[in-house]
This record gives sequence, structure tokens and C-alpha cells, in this order.
Amino acid sequence: MDHRPFEDWLLDNQPLTTDQKRLLNTHLRTCSSCTALVEVNLALNSVKLAAPSTGFTDRFQVRLSAKKQAIRQRNFWGFVVLSLSVLGLFAWVSWPVFRILIQSPVNLLASWISSLVSFWASLQAIFRAGMVLFKVVPGFVPAYIWAVILFAAGGWSLVWVVSFMKFTKYPQGA
Amino acid sequence: MTDEMTWINQAQQGDDEAFTNLVETYQKPVYNLCYRMLGEPESAEDAAQETFLKVYQNLARYDRERSFATWLLSIAAHHCIDKLRRRRFPSISIDEDEEGQTDLPDRSAPDPELETAKRQERERLHYCLQSLDPTDRAAVIMRYWQDCSEVEIAQALKLTVPAVKSRLHRARRALADLWDEKPAHVRTERKPYGSPAF
Repeated sequence: MDHRPFEDWLLDNQPLTTDQKRLLNTHLRTCSSCTALVEVNLALNSVKLAAPSTGFTDRFQVRLSAKKQAIRQRNFWGFVVLSLSVLGLFAWVSWPVFRILIQSPVNLLASWISSLVSFWASLQAIFRAGMVLFKVVPGFVPAYIWAVILFAAGGWSLVWVVSFMKFTKYPQGA
Repeated sequence: MTDEMTWINQAQQGDDEAFTNLVETYQKPVYNLCYRMLGEPESAEDAAQETFLKVYQNLARYDRERSFATWLLSIAAHHCIDKLRRRRFPSISIDEDEEGQTDLPDRSAPDPELETAKRQERERLHYCLQSLDPTDRAAVIMRYWQDCSEVEIAQALKLTVPAVKSRLHRARRALADLWDEKPAHVRTERKPYGSPAF
């Protein structure tokens, strides 16, 4: 008889009939491979649980405490690094504003007054230059140039008004 | 509600004493799985402790629909499989038997020779087991040492039930082949001071 069914019987762990058992016993006398399978089955079915050495739970508690301590330390240092990073970034972004704020009030006031004075002086200079031009320029320009300028300005204004009226008129029958 | 579920609930709320009760209850199956997987008491102790630490950290994710023991053994098995895959060379220690005692026949036993033969048979099985693929080994250990069903093994090892059946068949066939060719009481570890010259 072929070796295969015996191996399948042994691997499947199915209950065998009396005839099957007899055939199997006969086969086992000549087949070392199937005998080894039977021995392995017997060994596997009589195994014992290995136990840890005494004090496993105590050792676990020690390890758990150490782990918790390590996690606490990691969290603390993580918080420190994150806080320092955020502060550094904030300082870097706000440095231009901060630099002005940390100047002394006298310097700040002097800077503001200086800016106002310079602005006022610029306005006065522009006003004076305008007055000079207003007094001087009419004497250099002949009367007919003035007439051309006025005529051109009037025509230009008329073009603007007509265009404006044409483009803002609501289209009828649309 | 069972004691186990009460402890799990309490441990999930941060009660370390309840978790200690769970460790006390499951230390032996977890240690046994690690020992059979890794082959050495020191590595097994370390792996079992690491397994309980992982369970402690992930207890909030435990699905109450599943068996706690299966979940726990699944974590232990995956931890050991990862360790074995990282290992370059297999290391087997058969200097100690399952109870952590030295390899001497128990003279107080009714039949010391029978006891010795049994121990040698266990050592031989332990040796053969170390030659299996890590996942096959985990399946065999869960089936024969932990009495898990094929469905539980499939859940724990993230396999299908037919895959578990096939792995168990293959593993037993491989064990039988090794059993047939290896003599009993094989020592594979040489002592650091050992030399064939002596």
C-alpha cells in the first residue's frame, strides 16, 4: 500500500477504524518517516508549559516603573525642546518690531519728531516751489498759447463727458 | 463580569494593581510562548516582559469582542517573530528544562530513568522546534502548548484558517523529518571557553 494515506491519517488526527489501525501498525514497522510522525505527535501531546523564574511580576513592575520614568523624561525634554523652538521662531519673526520696542523712549520720541519735522519741511518746500512757478510761468507763456491750452482742455473735457454719457446710457429694447 | 474583564476595565482606567493581576495570571503562557519561540530562558524573559509592556501601552486599543488571551498571545508571537527575523544566527539553549532547573535526572522521582528519557524527548522536541519557520513555530506552540483552536491561531497570527491548517501540517511533517534524523539530546551551543581540543 502507498505511504501517502498513512501520513494523511497521522497528520489529520482523524479517528481510525480497527482495520485502519491494523494497517497503520503494520506500516509503522517498516516506515521510519511515519514512526517519527507518531513520535512527534506523542511528544506534542505531552508537552509541558515552561514557567518563568520566581518573581516575574516583581521584575515586570520594576521594568514598568523604569519605562514610565523614561517616558516622563522623554516628554519633559520634548516639551523643553518644543517650547524653545517656538520661542526661538517667535523671537526671529518678531525681532524687527522688538528691536524698535527695546530702544529708549527718548530715542523713539526723537525719531518720531525728526520724521514729523522732515515731513513738514518737505511740504513747505513744495508749497514754496509751487508759488514761485505760479508767479513766474505766466510771464513766459504768450497769450495765444493760453488760448490753445484752454481750447484743448475744453475739447478734452467734452470728449470725456460725451463718452461717459454714451457708455452709461441704459440700452433700450435690449 | 469576570475577574479578567474587571481587571481589564480597571487597568484601562490606570489601575496598575489590576494590570499586575493580569500579568500574574498570564505570565506562564506568555513566557512559555516566548521560550518555545526564542529557545533561551533569558531572551524569553525579556520578550515576555516586553510583551506585557506593549500590552500595558496598548490596552486602550483592546477589542472586547476578542479573547484577551488570544490578543495577548498574538502580541507575544509577533514580538518573537520580529526578534527572530532580526536575529542573524539561531541560538538554542537546552541546558535547562521547562521549570528552569538544571539538566540532571531527578533521583527522587519514582523512575529516574523514565524522567530522564522524558526530559530528553522534550529537549529533542525543543531543538526540532527551533528549526521551523517562525510563523509555523508560533502556530505549533499555540496549538499544542496553549491549546488554541485553529480559529484563534488564525486571529492571533493574522492568517486564514486553511492557512493555519496547512502550516500545522507542514510544521509537523518538518518536525517528524528532523526527529527522524537528529539524535536525542543535541547540544548546539558551545560554551565560551569550550574547545574541541579539550
